[in-house]
Amino acid sequence: MQLTEPAVPASRRALLRQALGGALVLAGGAAPAADAGRGLAVVYPDLGDPFRQVFTSIIEGIEDKLGGTVTSIAVANEASLTQVADDIRKRGVQVLIGLGRGGMRIAASLATEMAVLVGCVVSVQEAEARTFPVHTLAPDPALLLARLKRLRPAARRVHLVYDPKLNGWLARLAREAARAESLELQAQEAADPAEALRAYTQLLAAADPARDALWLPQDPTTVDDNAVLPLVLREGWNRNVAVFSSHLAHVKRGALFSLYPDNRELGRTLAAAAQRLLSAPKAVAPGVLPLRQARAAINIRTAAHLGIDVAAVQSGFDLVYPSN
Amino acid sequence: MPGRSAGLVGLAVALSLGAASAAAQTDEDELALAYGDQRSVSIAAGSRQSLRQAPAVASVITAEAIAAMGAVDLDEVLQTVAGLHVGRSANQYMPLYIFRGIYSQFNPQVLLLQNGVPMTTMFVGNKGNLWAGYPVEDIARIEVIRGPGSALYGADAYAGVINIVTKSAQDARGTAVGLRGGSFDTRDGWVLHGGKLGPLDLSAYLRVGATDGARSLIEHDAAQPAVTHAPGPLTLSHDAVDANLELALERWRAHVGYKLRSDVGSAAGVASALDPVGRGRSERTHADLSWTEPELGNGWGAGMQASVLRYVDLATTNYVLLPAGTTLGPGNVFTDGLIGGPNKWERQMRVSAFATYSGFSGHSLRVGIGHDDLNLYKTTEYKNFNPNYSRIGTGSFGDVTDFSDTLLKFMLPQRRRVDYLYAQDEWRLHPDWNLTAGVRRDHYSDFGDTTNPRLALVWSAAYDVTVKLMHGRAFRAPSFNEQYSINNPVVGGNPAIKPETIGTTEAAFAWTPADTLQMQLTLFRYQMRDIIRSAPNPNAPPAGLIQNRGGQDGRGAEFELVWDASRSLRLSGNLALQRSVDTTTETDAGYAPHRRAYLQADWVVARGTSISGQLNHVASRARPAGDARAPVKDYTTLDMSARTRLGASDWELSLMLRNLFGADAREPSLAGGGIVNDLPVAPRAAYVQAVYRY
Repeated sequence: MQLTEPAVPASRRALLRQALGGALVLAGGAAPAADAGRGLAVVYPDLGDPFRQVFTSIIEGIEDKLGGTVTSIAVANEASLTQVADDIRKRGVQVLIGLGRGGMRIAASLATEMAVLVGCVVSVQEAEARTFPVHTLAPDPALLLARLKRLRPAARRVHLVYDPKLNGWLARLAREAARAESLELQAQEAADPAEALRAYTQLLAAADPARDALWLPQDPTTVDDNAVLPLVLREGWNRNVAVFSSHLAHVKRGALFSLYPDNRELGRTLAAAAQRLLSAPKAVAPGVLPLRQARAAINIRTAAHLGIDVAAVQSGFDLVYPSN
Repeated sequence: MPGRSAGLVGLAVALSLGAASAAAQTDEDELALAYGDQRSVSIAAGSRQSLRQAPAVASVITAEAIAAMGAVDLDEVLQTVAGLHVGRSANQYMPLYIFRGIYSQFNPQVLLLQNGVPMTTMFVGNKGNLWAGYPVEDIARIEVIRGPGSALYGADAYAGVINIVTKSAQDARGTAVGLRGGSFDTRDGWVLHGGKLGPLDLSAYLRVGATDGARSLIEHDAAQPAVTHAPGPLTLSHDAVDANLELALERWRAHVGYKLRSDVGSAAGVASALDPVGRGRSERTHADLSWTEPELGNGWGAGMQASVLRYVDLATTNYVLLPAGTTLGPGNVFTDGLIGGPNKWERQMRVSAFATYSGFSGHSLRVGIGHDDLNLYKTTEYKNFNPNYSRIGTGSFGDVTDFSDTLLKFMLPQRRRVDYLYAQDEWRLHPDWNLTAGVRRDHYSDFGDTTNPRLALVWSAAYDVTVKLMHGRAFRAPSFNEQYSINNPVVGGNPAIKPETIGTTEAAFAWTPADTLQMQLTLFRYQMRDIIRSAPNPNAPPAGLIQNRGGQDGRGAEFELVWDASRSLRLSGNLALQRSVDTTTETDAGYAPHRRAYLQADWVVARGTSISGQLNHVASRARPAGDARAPVKDYTTLDMSARTRLGASDWELSLMLRNLFGADAREPSLAGGGIVNDLPVAPRAAYVQAVYRY
């Protein structure tokens, strides 16, 4: 099946967009829908660098997998949702990949008319993924726990404090992953930051450094950068408890390790999912999916403090903090 | 200092996360949750990470930080680093990167690298006197190490090391076209592209620029009062072309670079006498190829690099060293002045390889080997005077004579070969204690061997406190001019001189009391020995002979701070104090500031719009022994810049204002050089810039 639109390469679209000069930024707006009814389109929010680079890499991955350029539509913040949706309809797009929250809104509005899937979003409520698959940026618990086990073979229990509205699905996956790694998952629900802070304080006070580890998910409710994060990292350090995170920036601050997206690979996966959606729509279930196309970052200062042989493990990571 | 790297937009995003609820998530908030702040996003999007080689007092300045401060030249970026002051040489106004009070006329005590390859030219052992600026558009990041680095980097990693890393395909990504213009008829245009070329990652950069340069006034110069051009303006005009190409495939990376400076004015004159006529040209062409495999298996990693450099420094219009009518002794009147044009051609080849091994528990080993072939293969000279300064003919332009094929020129071709070997072990003594020990031995075909060790002990004292104790020895190799200068009645080269050495001890305390506040205090002391300088020659002429003579002892402190005062405001700054004493005269070593303070505020006004202000205070510059002038005047300059993305378009406009209040900023001229009132720098200036990205 031909999924690519032999129209205008993504890089040239920006020029066209500039020539059109509209606040409604339709990168593919001027591209002739030459392959109408058979194409794949990617819609994503028009952000400044370096976030723009993230989408560019994902689109490169998609094009890599499909072997040609795809229609990519950058949507400005102030653009009319209806107008963008109309434009996509007119192009006869068969399968739409929405990237980011902006892309998800458009994909959701077209989900009844065409095959859609979403990627590159965080903190998705399960209700938002009832009709189409959502590939989130939340690292797969199975990958995180396998990494933990390699770094801390003696770990037996992992603590997780999460907002059930945002991360209920993740906690379910985490339970299965923990079983596979012979770990016990102690998952506590917290509906607000204060409740989360209480939970962290208690669990850190009682934690056994040899056996316990703490996982910080991508969860704005339970992982507050100003209150929770300094407390957890400081107490984790003082008590020799391994703290790992689903948030790359936490590694720079002192978390032991994290996983972060491999954008190009993510693009390739989204392209493969789009192909499956077209060829066998029934076989693709809606729902929230974790990130499996991940790279890894480690804080060697923290690793050494925890007694991990840094020299032996460092080479398995793509990013190493601190840099000097 | 780690905090410098985070850009402002990302900073604002990262800081907003704590307060953001899931419902209020913007796309940037969402992405920042997974990728971190702007710097992390850039890294995650594929930028290269700093090569972590050894503990040091280091600063990393990223492209984002450079853009935020509105800098257009390398000097403006380096000026922000604690303990590093950018001064000027009278000759072509070459920038002097003065680390911690280590001042000299040609600044060979600093190793400047581009993508890890030395930019050093052999004639005076520095980056080349005909420098005339280095643009920043193609810089991905600048790594600055204060203190010694000879145990890893060899010669000239003495007072400090500066490594310029140019943009990879990932860093450049897409195409950017820029135009800039402003004061002194300065105009620049450039294009930068990052993308794919078949299976290769490609990054390409081309910049063309020109300036008439500030025409600040020199009140008195070295010329005789009857014939001088002073008071008269500096000649800082030049044309510039810069081009870089990077190709990468898996573990392989290749660079080709070109830097041309033509029609370069002599600033305050090659001999500190104003010369509106003379023009120079420098052309630097270089290429390197490297292969790095950090994981060969079983704990091994390896890499290798080969590079070539061709550097040509020409007087395209011969310099008028002293003006028309100059009289040097009875009857020795130069009708058109003392005219000279020395020209040099250099070719350098370097090969190196390293291996790393982490198979011993708690140890990271690194060993390396290399060979340099440094060849100043051609010199020519045109002049209208003899080595004893007697005129040829009437000392006119017409009397300028080609000395190129004679033994009477300034230097004969010279060549140096260097072989070296180094080893380093990073040993985890204890979970919170890390000891790095390294040593490098260099064998020079001219002056022999030198061995330089380094020790660094790093203690993770607490979750938010790191303490480093470091000691290292370093050397700078004598330049060819210092070894082989001939036919100069003022100073002669000395082939027997040894390297200049330094031993430096440092203690650094880094404290992060809050996520929004980072501080670092560094204390240092050093002992320079066998300083290469001119000393009276009992067998004159020449009057002076280059010798290893005397020492300099220095000590000081640097305090650095980064504070994210709010989600849209970052304040950063540093205070550097130093005192250095010449061990022979036991007086101040002179010219370098005892005190320098720098403050920068970066404010994100709205998405896509930011303003930055930089305050630079340079104070307390004593004169050395033998220079009776009053201390160099203190100065404080304020620079401002603003940039904005035009709506949702791909255009970005910037305005840069330099020395907004027109402070009279001056850098010291050398004693007895004839320029009495020092060198005026940093004139008030304004530039506008437009960049289009697609």
